[in-house]
Amino acid sequence: MQAETKLPAPDFLPEEAFDAVYKVGQADIVVGIPSYNNAGTIGHVTRAAQAGLERYFPQLKAVIINSDGGSSDGTRQAVLASRLDSSRLLLLNTPLFPVHRLSFPYHGIPGKGSAFRLIFQMASMLGARGCVVIDSDLRSITPEWIDLLLRPVLHAGFDFTAPFYQRHKYDGTITNSIVYPLTRALYGLRVRQPIGGDFGLSLRMLNRYLSRRDWQGNAARYGIDIWMTTIAIAEGFRVCQSFLGAKLHDPKDPGTDLSEMLHQVVGSVFALMQEYEPVWKRTSSSRDVDLFGFPFGVGLDPVEVDTGRMLGVFHRAARELRDVWALALQPATLKELGRVSATLDSGSADGFHLDDELWARVVMEFALAWRERPAERGHMLRSLTSLYLARVASFVLESRDLLSDQVEDRIERLCLTFERLKPSLISSWDRVTGPAQSAARGPGDASDGARAEVMLED
Amino acid sequence: MFQLAERIARDTMERLSRLTTAHLPALLAALSILLVAWCLAAGMRWLLMRVFRGARIDQFLRRSGIASLLPGGGPVHATQVAARGAYWATLTGGFLLALSAFDTQLTSRMIEWVLLMVPKLFAGAVIMVAGLWASRYLGRSALIWAFNEGIPHSRRISDAVRVVVIFVTVVVAADYLNFARNVFLASFILIIGGAMLAGALALGLGGRKIVERRLESKDSGKTEKPEPAAWKHL
Repeated sequence: MQAETKLPAPDFLPEEAFDAVYKVGQADIVVGIPSYNNAGTIGHVTRAAQAGLERYFPQLKAVIINSDGGSSDGTRQAVLASRLDSSRLLLLNTPLFPVHRLSFPYHGIPGKGSAFRLIFQMASMLGARGCVVIDSDLRSITPEWIDLLLRPVLHAGFDFTAPFYQRHKYDGTITNSIVYPLTRALYGLRVRQPIGGDFGLSLRMLNRYLSRRDWQGNAARYGIDIWMTTIAIAEGFRVCQSFLGAKLHDPKDPGTDLSEMLHQVVGSVFALMQEYEPVWKRTSSSRDVDLFGFPFGVGLDPVEVDTGRMLGVFHRAARELRDVWALALQPATLKELGRVSATLDSGSADGFHLDDELWARVVMEFALAWRERPAERGHMLRSLTSLYLARVASFVLESRDLLSDQVEDRIERLCLTFERLKPSLISSWDRVTGPAQSAARGPGDASDGARAEVMLED
Repeated sequence: MFQLAERIARDTMERLSRLTTAHLPALLAALSILLVAWCLAAGMRWLLMRVFRGARIDQFLRRSGIASLLPGGGPVHATQVAARGAYWATLTGGFLLALSAFDTQLTSRMIEWVLLMVPKLFAGAVIMVAGLWASRYLGRSALIWAFNEGIPHSRRISDAVRVVVIFVTVVVAADYLNFARNVFLASFILIIGGAMLAGALALGLGGRKIVERRLESKDSGKTEKPEPAAWKHL
């Protein structure tokens, strides 16, 4: 069954993917697993996905697709070789169809986004009613995750299920300090893990992603998660969250540069801010999102944080990167950062504190500068890393003795600060004239976000 | 005594009268040309201010990154700079035209030289501006890269990149203007050659231990444990 929306020719699909679509014909559910050298964990993830499909959706035809970025450790073989001993799982239902496992190398820019594109395209061609994407490095995934991410899409009419995890208070700091507060303040929905990485999607949502033309930028890499979440929220698709329990995963690829990752994620947020300007300008507060699942407390892996090293980086950056920060930051903000950095002159971190308001101003001024100075975007965003480390260190020092609920309250306070400063962001945004609207949207899209806004308020 | 003074005064008056008769028309013409040039320059300045403000040239410069060439990164007033530039260029043109009214060999030669050099000087200035922009951009790239990689003295690396790019720009501009071409080219080759040699020596001496360690671990069949990522928890 082909999708109704007219989509661009999928020239990025490898030949064997076409053959597989032809052979499988049609599927109700697609589970996508992007990977790159994850042989150690992907077998477990694949088995969990298969168990979830057989236990919770035994009457539906399902396919597991691994989209691989050229792994050299046998990741693809691990997917194809993974076997599920169904008899030990006490499955109450007998599946009507076998779960197909497929693995393909994706073409194009190396990155998670390119991997997703292949999965979405195949899911669309197979006419899948629902699609789940899950990370391949997960150690805490259970079969229930598939149900929790998919059921709201298949049975409650949602288009996008975002994950809601229990995480260690020092885990997911890009989410906690930048992406969640900014996305919430801008678009008005409290999606707690907008870059969680594990999502449930409807066919309508998939086709919307596939119809876009901006798959080549940050969306092809680490920017994909926030790209997907923002499009879903800003264009008025029905969004919900599902509580999945703990998120335990392998550490990120050690070769991955933090600065590069931050650049891709934050660059993606800023690019989408430009595109959805009419939507976020008209949104003045935030509201909760439907949460499925049963929240419970879980034990989490301890996370060691070296605040001394982070503050050392910030202290050095305050001397060496000041000129680069000056491209983005207002003189008053720069001066205040200088004052904060000066508290480290004695070599002790005791008095160090980068407060919520200063941090929110830093992020917002970077967003404005991103719009105003396209030629210097790369430099500015890469210089943000040291400021981000300072903010994380400050957060860690403050929350050292706090319990997870109290940490959530701290994050809530930061979000409220972002929301409070939003009017000043809007007035500054209006003073700065940016380039013409991005041509990222596909044909037939809402021209100015007005449609999306109406749907948001529904 | 009285007669001598009278003769001196008469000679002076005669000479003044001759000079005035010979050069007054040219002087008047030159002054008129200067006046017209001043009017034109003022008109040009007014027009450019209006046109550039309408075209939002300041904004374009800020967005293209050219604005960051200005020291201190302060607000850009390219419209004013361009208008003032046009004003003074028109006045200079008027001055040269006024000089030509005297029709002497010296003034003719001056005008000829300026007219020949203006296009070249303009192209040279464009090369210098492009080079300065590139030096800023590449210097900043080097600074951020070195800083994020944790390389010490990232500022010095950035300064070195900036100096090298500026130096290359000066060599190119000098070559284009045919100004001390050999001197600049020779010093460029000497400096780049010296820097390459120093870099090769530093790499060789500094990397010797790393290579030794690698070879030793290869011989003993051990593989080096990768250093844990500093920010993996983030």
